[in-house]
Amino acid sequence: MGRSVKKGPFVDSKLLKKVLKQKGTGGKDPIRTWARSCTIIPEFISHTFLVHNGKSFNKLFVMEDMVGHKLGEFAPTRIFRGHGGGRKKEATKPGS
Amino acid sequence: MPRIAGVDIPAEKGIEIALTYIYGIGRKLSRDALKALGIKENIRAKNISEDELSALGAYIEKNFTVEGQLRRQESQNMSRMKNIGCYRGLRHRMGLPVRGQRTRTNARTRKGKRRTVSVKKSVKEMKG
Repeated sequence: MGRSVKKGPFVDSKLLKKVLKQKGTGGKDPIRTWARSCTIIPEFISHTFLVHNGKSFNKLFVMEDMVGHKLGEFAPTRIFRGHGGGRKKEATKPGS
Repeated sequence: MPRIAGVDIPAEKGIEIALTYIYGIGRKLSRDALKALGIKENIRAKNISEDELSALGAYIEKNFTVEGQLRRQESQNMSRMKNIGCYRGLRHRMGLPVRGQRTRTNARTRKGKRRTVSVKKSVKEMKG
């Protein structure tokens, strides 16, 4: 929704270059990136990324279903530890 | 009572409104269908002819996703997002608004009935 079709999906050019390079050499090292707004394109499948969440890097192995989403969608920027101080609550958010 | 698209039985209402009783059809799609088939919108659902009724059914089947199929599609999309662990999937899982709405107040549709979290002091503290 929103972005004009004419432009196509936004893909971080530096990141794409890195991925393609890795494809050539067959390397499997996770790619560290801050480009959360980069759309996941089919070329990214079965590559591993370390996506910045503002503080640390979340490991993300790209699967086919993830195509079309942005990298940042898989690295949550907020942690919710629950309300109230009294009793301990079960963690509402599964850490991924 | 006329019957369109499987189980739906819209009744005494104008046909444009009656069609919106089908899951997945709102005023827009209802009007589109009627326009495409050249049926007047101000006619009552009960007064619609057999031919028009079957034509409507066929048109809706062909052009729109409705009812069970639409529900299935929706839940499939949801479970896909849950499985890949994207932000929207996480929000669905937690039962919070998915599209960036505020949650400080409101968001009651997603969060359900208010659960008041009172800050209770332990019995010892209150005595002491």
